[in-house]
Amino acid sequence: MTPPLRIPGKLRHITTLLVVAAIYYWAIEGTDSNPVTFFRGFPHIIDYIERMFPPDLSILGGLMGPVGETLQMAIMGTTFGAIIALPLSFLAARNVMPYRPVYQATRTLFDLCRGINEIIWALIFVAMVGLGPFPGVLALTVHLVGALGRYFSEAIEAVDQELVVAVASTGANRVQTVYYGIVPQVRTLFIGYTFYYLEHCFRAATVLGLVGAGGIGFELITSVKLFKSQEVLTTLIVMVITVILIDRLSAFVRMRFITGVEG
Amino acid sequence: MIKIEGLSHYYPVRARRGATGADRDRSKTELALRDIYLDVARGERMVILGSSGSGKSTLLRCTNLSIRPTAGKVFIDGREITSLSNKEVAQVRRQIGVISQHFNLVEGAAAFKNVLLGRLGYVGTVSSLLGRFSEEDVAIATDCLRRVGMEKYAQKRVSDLSGGQKQRVAVARAMAQHARIILADEPVSSLDPKLMKEIMNLIQEICVEEKMTLVASLHLLELAKTYATRLVGLRDGQIVCENTPEELTDKDIIDIYGETEDWVLYGKRGF
Repeated sequence: MTPPLRIPGKLRHITTLLVVAAIYYWAIEGTDSNPVTFFRGFPHIIDYIERMFPPDLSILGGLMGPVGETLQMAIMGTTFGAIIALPLSFLAARNVMPYRPVYQATRTLFDLCRGINEIIWALIFVAMVGLGPFPGVLALTVHLVGALGRYFSEAIEAVDQELVVAVASTGANRVQTVYYGIVPQVRTLFIGYTFYYLEHCFRAATVLGLVGAGGIGFELITSVKLFKSQEVLTTLIVMVITVILIDRLSAFVRMRFITGVEG
Repeated sequence: MIKIEGLSHYYPVRARRGATGADRDRSKTELALRDIYLDVARGERMVILGSSGSGKSTLLRCTNLSIRPTAGKVFIDGREITSLSNKEVAQVRRQIGVISQHFNLVEGAAAFKNVLLGRLGYVGTVSSLLGRFSEEDVAIATDCLRRVGMEKYAQKRVSDLSGGQKQRVAVARAMAQHARIILADEPVSSLDPKLMKEIMNLIQEICVEEKMTLVASLHLLELAKTYATRLVGLRDGQIVCENTPEELTDKDIIDIYGETEDWVLYGKRGF
């Protein structure tokens, strides 16, 4: 039998470098991402920033409703997403699901859900059920089923099998073994991931408004289209402050659940 | 009580890089146990000796079918369990308590709840998922905790207990199963010498009182000789000696561990 063809180390490195360089050349050419373009557009960027100041604080009161709506979308999207992802994640964990076709099908479903960005899902759902926050909730839910399902199933696969074997050794059946051997090991991780995704969903929900799925993003796109730069800045400030608050709240809750101490 | 006939086990491993043909197939498996024959009588306390990687843990795991052996048969009370379905094996496992080096308890749960897990084999699925255990199960778990001297720690989280206390909880869980056999995989390896003795005394006491059969793997010769009624030596997955503690010879020890000057590691001093 002839030995397999081996490329010498140096030649392999040069080939890798050439391939990487070709990929970058292709990407830079396609997107016009070069310093010349940046410096040519720089005065326009400065001009736009100047027109944003001072922020128009008179619209602050009117933004509270859309902020609340964005938060509502994030809460419902995260809740539905987590509820659906939870049972499915056990079907997508190799150490729980012995039937490979079921495992593969569930993993493919997760890839499909999270492979398509929330904004694309929102476009599809707006076309299906009309404008408003509900298509936003659906878009977040579908994306989260994929993202959380994947994380949950990976957490299940990474559990300490010794505890699982120990529970099974008591004479427990399969369901009992999963419930008492696996669930206690992944519970805090699941809660942590879900709260992290609440924060992610709020950020995503602000963008969904751009395609008509309601919330603060809808206000932002309206101000941008009407060239009301000062309103744009006010909306951005409100979005950033809300994201920071949710981020802090989510970190606090995660710390409480995971370590039992205040964050 | 336990009979093992022609037991062999191979672990699947990644094929060696560059291996081809038959060599490649051979390199996909790694021998853990080869052609083991054992007969353990009721009430016997058998200790398996051997270096790390000699197959002690695999042998214990094959005994309660936590690992399905590649070949061979395991009999419990004359009934062949290797041919049973997973559901039937779960029923058999109720009689076999397992204690291990790493305790394998639910760290975030209270000691009492961990002992209750020993009753899972006797509780319906829905009831157990709802955490509804019968009064009898609760009474059994309480009694087991009391017998291992842990009743005052019943509501304490396992993660807050010391190593010795955790192992006591693990012993109580095995007792709560109403097990007739205890498989103990290096049960004292992660404990200090004082606790080692305490836990081994406890396991021995329970085995004698409950007329349980014990199959344990231990690293320290002295400890093995103190608590075993029979010693079995494993090396490279094969039985190399079988003897009573009183009749164990230097040759037996060399057969198990090979020529070594590090006798003190195995506790030969005083042997």
